[in-house]
Amino acid sequence: MSVQESDQVTSDTEMSEAILKIKDVTRTYFMGDQEVNALRGVSLNINKGEYVAIMGPSGSGKSTLMNTIGCLDVPTSGSYHLEGVGVNEMSEDQLAEIRNEKIGFVFQTFNLVPRVSVFQNVELPLIYKGVPKRKRREIVEKAIASVGLEDRSDHKSNELSGGQRQRVAIARALVCEPSIILADEPTGNLDSKTGAEIMVLLNRLHEKGHTIILVTHEDEIAEHAHRIVRLRDGLIESDTRS
Amino acid sequence: MKLSLDIAESFKIALSAIVANKSRGALTALGIIIGIVAVITTMTAANGLKNTFRQTFSSVGADVIYVSKRPWVQMGPGFRFRNRKDISLAASDALQQRLLGRGVVNPSISSNKNVKYQSKVLEGIRISGTTEKQIIVSDMVPSTGRFLMPFDVEYKKSVAVIGSEIADGLYGNSDPIGKHIKIGRNKFLVIGVMEKQGTSFFGGPNFDRQIYIPITTYGKTLGHNGGRANVNIAIKAPSQESMADFEFEVIGEMRKIRGLKPAEDDDFSINKLDTLLDAYNNMMGAVVLVGLIITSISLFVGGVGVMNIMFVSVTERTKEIGIRKAIGAKRRSILLQFLFESSIICLFGGIIGLSIAALLTEIINEMLMPASLSPSIIITALVISVFVGVVSGFVPAYRGAKLDPIEALRYE
Repeated sequence: MSVQESDQVTSDTEMSEAILKIKDVTRTYFMGDQEVNALRGVSLNINKGEYVAIMGPSGSGKSTLMNTIGCLDVPTSGSYHLEGVGVNEMSEDQLAEIRNEKIGFVFQTFNLVPRVSVFQNVELPLIYKGVPKRKRREIVEKAIASVGLEDRSDHKSNELSGGQRQRVAIARALVCEPSIILADEPTGNLDSKTGAEIMVLLNRLHEKGHTIILVTHEDEIAEHAHRIVRLRDGLIESDTRS
Repeated sequence: MKLSLDIAESFKIALSAIVANKSRGALTALGIIIGIVAVITTMTAANGLKNTFRQTFSSVGADVIYVSKRPWVQMGPGFRFRNRKDISLAASDALQQRLLGRGVVNPSISSNKNVKYQSKVLEGIRISGTTEKQIIVSDMVPSTGRFLMPFDVEYKKSVAVIGSEIADGLYGNSDPIGKHIKIGRNKFLVIGVMEKQGTSFFGGPNFDRQIYIPITTYGKTLGHNGGRANVNIAIKAPSQESMADFEFEVIGEMRKIRGLKPAEDDDFSINKLDTLLDAYNNMMGAVVLVGLIITSISLFVGGVGVMNIMFVSVTERTKEIGIRKAIGAKRRSILLQFLFESSIICLFGGIIGLSIAALLTEIINEMLMPASLSPSIIITALVISVFVGVVSGFVPAYRGAKLDPIEALRYE
């Protein structure tokens, strides 16, 4: 079903600029008997084309916030609108559709599907989107070229270096033209030289107009972003623009 | 995502997963192969038995009633039938007269003897004393020479019409007609060879190993060996009458001939093709059912094996499921992917199993009985395979489909 039909666009002018609007979000879950308040009332607006780093020590709730932004998880309370569409009440399959069309994930551990080629990995989101085979080829080839891996298209992901794998992941994140690219510690498993290369790639995507949200605990990486949101104990500690 | 596209893509994903893990897929399929071979071979064997049965008794016409001392299919203790009075040749004549020419009545009597031509001997050949009407009540005719004629019976001629197997066994390639055959201690002239009837049902009569001689000659030469003559009477019903009415009439006339009082039970048995078919269906139905139940257990075990491997497969690929879900796979896509995987493995097993069963069926056909793999059996086998695949794959696939993406992504 189309998500647009159930939208909850508000007339708020501030909100119409924000591609992502989080308001008073809490997230509570249980580990055994223990209640964990991972997010305790987070409000955050991110505009189109912004380059934001989310930082915080472990246990600060940044993973939970990232999962929420990535529509992998829904808030316990509060609201989350992505491009004006409320995500809170969505079913699991509707969330899958949103992730497919609006979010481009780049993970620390690359998370490519093993055994299949670079081309097939990049093609996968388009398959789930339902793009016909003829159209897919062109889009996938373009995405692979944009990360400089044209000559590796037929390689299996386990035949690639870490840096190359992360490029594949970025190409995969791009194919569905997402609203936001969500990069979770994208350089965490890379040496500093390759990490720098990946950051150059992300910076370039930002220059092209992509909205990028970077989750990291390294100040060096966060400096690439133009805005840094720091979390502590499930609350936003600071939100600074450079 | 459109369902058709979803199906096509899930199928491809499943196929590549199997190809990536060939030996495991093959071992999993082995259980299904064995199950399908067992079930299908049982089915073809059952069909083979049925075919043999039909072939053997095709000569017993559906419109013929047999009056005998014993029933063909005996229920209860045998002494009840053993102690009955023998049916005499005179009874057969009396029945013929009482039916006023309606129907064809043919008496026959038989026993096993050794037969001999020159130095060749065949043991335990069924010798049947009968009349020229034999070929009316049964559908068998001679392929060469002639059958018994009224004057053979009337003048108690020492002539014999032999079955095809006897012709081959005693005379080889030479023409048996006009040659002699020694039945017991008596010499007979071969006047005809019956056409070949083919395979016979286990324990059923083999008409190719049978010799027909005039019933009158039988009484003179062979009949008194055992002292008593017990005749079987075959009556072909007139075509315009219903079998049930005619049978009722025959019973009535036989009771009069045997001098039974109204309260007494029949001291003879009415046999017909239906009795045989009923008995066959009862017996074989039960045997085949038991066979199918037993062989289905092996198929069930194969299915459990598939389910087991699918659980392993889903657990192994938890991370992959997480990745797929993160980039937009819906539950349906994951479910289909794993259902296809188990179904393809099972269908593959089914096709291999079917090929082996076809080979076994061919061997059975060559060595035992006319068995064949019918299209309906082939379709049944393939449907069963896929069904087993879907059923045994469903629970693992469902478990994979409803995994939480965050948990699945975190899985190492």
